[in-house]
Amino acid sequence: MIAAAAAAGPPRVAAIRSFIRRRRRRPWYDWYSTGFAVVLAVILLWDLLAQPFGRLNGPGGTGGAGGISGAAPAQAVAGAALVIGAAAGLLVLAQALGPLALSPADAAWLLLTSLDRRDVLRRPAAATAGIAVAAGGVLGVLALAMAGPFLRLPNGAGAHRVPSAWLLLSAVGGAGFFAAAMLAGVLAQPWPRWRVRLRAAGAVVGVAATVGAVAGERWNVVSRAITDRFAELNTGSFGLIAVVAVVAAGTAALLVRRMLPHLPAGVVRAGSARAGTVLLAAAFLNVPLLTWIAEDSHWRGRRLDSRPWPRLAAFAPRLGPAFVLAWADWRRLGRRPAVLAALAVSALAPALAGAAFTGRAHGWVTAAVLLAGAMAAGTQGTAATRRDTNDPALRRLLGVDAEAALAARAVLPALLGAAWLALALALLALTGELPGALWPVLGLAAGPGVAAAAVRIARTAPINPADQGPDAPVTAPPWLLTRAGSVLLGLVAAWPTLRAVYAGHVHASTFGAQLAVAAVVLGGYLMIAVRSA
Amino acid sequence: MRVGHSSFVVLEDVDLTVAGGEIVAVTGVNGAGKSTLLSCLAGLHRPMAGTVAVLGGPPRDDAAFWRAVALVADEPTWYPGLSLHEHLELVRLTHEPVRGWCLPTDELIEVFGLAGRADANPTDLSSGQRQRLSLAAALTRPSRLLLLDEPEQSLDPAFRKDLAGLLREYAGHGGTVVMATHDLDFAAAAGARLMLIADGRMTRPGPGP
Repeated sequence: MIAAAAAAGPPRVAAIRSFIRRRRRRPWYDWYSTGFAVVLAVILLWDLLAQPFGRLNGPGGTGGAGGISGAAPAQAVAGAALVIGAAAGLLVLAQALGPLALSPADAAWLLLTSLDRRDVLRRPAAATAGIAVAAGGVLGVLALAMAGPFLRLPNGAGAHRVPSAWLLLSAVGGAGFFAAAMLAGVLAQPWPRWRVRLRAAGAVVGVAATVGAVAGERWNVVSRAITDRFAELNTGSFGLIAVVAVVAAGTAALLVRRMLPHLPAGVVRAGSARAGTVLLAAAFLNVPLLTWIAEDSHWRGRRLDSRPWPRLAAFAPRLGPAFVLAWADWRRLGRRPAVLAALAVSALAPALAGAAFTGRAHGWVTAAVLLAGAMAAGTQGTAATRRDTNDPALRRLLGVDAEAALAARAVLPALLGAAWLALALALLALTGELPGALWPVLGLAAGPGVAAAAVRIARTAPINPADQGPDAPVTAPPWLLTRAGSVLLGLVAAWPTLRAVYAGHVHASTFGAQLAVAAVVLGGYLMIAVRSA
Repeated sequence: MRVGHSSFVVLEDVDLTVAGGEIVAVTGVNGAGKSTLLSCLAGLHRPMAGTVAVLGGPPRDDAAFWRAVALVADEPTWYPGLSLHEHLELVRLTHEPVRGWCLPTDELIEVFGLAGRADANPTDLSSGQRQRLSLAAALTRPSRLLLLDEPEQSLDPAFRKDLAGLLREYAGHGGTVVMATHDLDFAAAAGARLMLIADGRMTRPGPGP
């Protein structure tokens, strides 16, 4: 009846995929929500990129910085740095997801079978390459747009327009280089050492671009030296860049094609499981789950050096147990100095983003990045809050009441948010974009308020990674609303600071207002949150 | 062989030979390295030292290898929108063409006690039923070696006995089974040779108290 036997020959993957496609019953709202998400993404992306792309139509033809109206060299350099940083960030993100990954179900049912490994992996490899080509093309054109006002346009190309050939060659160059880098990530996938090296290379490129942009913003001579190089570009150099990029991408594609049959199943399975959960979390904007996954990936397989717990209860018998509980996040963060370093470097983002998008370092873009950065910094201290939101077993085991636990756990995000805001505002003041030296003090006052938003993000019911996720998109709006609610809370908590940054100047009364608003928001949130705990 | 992860060694000086048509049950405390051993045999984990030979060669983790080896470890991710019956059909399809060696899908579903649930979404089944489905998926395809990581988990005692019978039948047709288990009665019912992993080393367990 049940017999051991060998199959006569391998079936075709296309037939298997066709079998699955024909039988899977996708409800209409699956297609609707996918279509809606795509349309929304295109609208948002277009809105974000319309202004930078507008520079392609800006005044040109004079070369160098002279005669450029409406764009400063520092803005072009900051913009170019952001494009390079975005490319490096996308590559690091792709590495975290695989970059070659199957759907979790495909990984479970098609990988450890007699199907030809190359056939199984061909489609995800093509998808990876396709996404890289599309993203690289956009980044290539974006880089050209950043340099746009400083390009020396060829005679007869029209007075104010970058030639179409340059656009095309930039897109090809960007697509080629980005695809080559992404496929290099696929080649490194089975080798942990090479993965680390690629990640490090991405980080180095990102930091170098950031440092260059800051130097360009601080010293005009640096930004002018870079924009003068933009003026030297011509059709020949664009063509050369595109040819080199295409050759690099083609070589990488050939190497990947040769490697596909030998890609270890264990590596693909691990990447696929991670990518599946990450995409599920991203689809529902579930930031806590994304950080949950990132933490699990970081700590898996590591040997931790156990150290004694500090005797916090001895100093404050009443609140001590709560701080003992909260110390888990302090220790965790202490074991991850790279996170603190990344947070410190990211404090440069408000100045760069503002300069690149609007040409001025104070404005709504700077304020938005300040808020997002402070909330992100705060969430780095909420891992334990996130973990036991749905299951307060540890808190109960230690006999700590919910109110004290929540208050103790808000201390670290408050400090992180305050420190990050102070550093970011200090850098804005240092580069001369915000007048005066008291801005960091304002950041320190706003930090505790922003911590309320960070704690709320951590506590808004992270879905269990083992769950399949909500069945229908009708359950999605509440998820989106909880995120919007957290952002709104952060916005209210830091409103006086953000308003001052938007305006570009600060009054003495702002400090008092900020302190009061932060205290009211944090205190109010903790009181309300404890009731629902 | 010696097997470990980046920061610690799990198995030290492990030596195991399994003959064709034999059933071997590996037991040991939690974290002893039973699952790691199965991963090595499946070629999903490389030993730090020593060699692994499966069906006469190193586990190559390619189509030819997986044509002969079936692995049941963690619960697989189920295709959303596909029924229990369709999952089994899918497995058979990935191993076609096969010359008369196994039960039709409907009969297999009955053997595994899943009749009446054939059209169910696997995620709607109980954990024990999902485990039965995983095992049925492994046995509905041709193989010469079955690697099972705690196949008895979530199964009721009656079906454990049935499963032991199915494994004996599989071995009777020349198939080889290596499984990790905590259920010594199940291992005995399957007629398995019992091996114990303790302190990273593999031994034959002594007589019980």
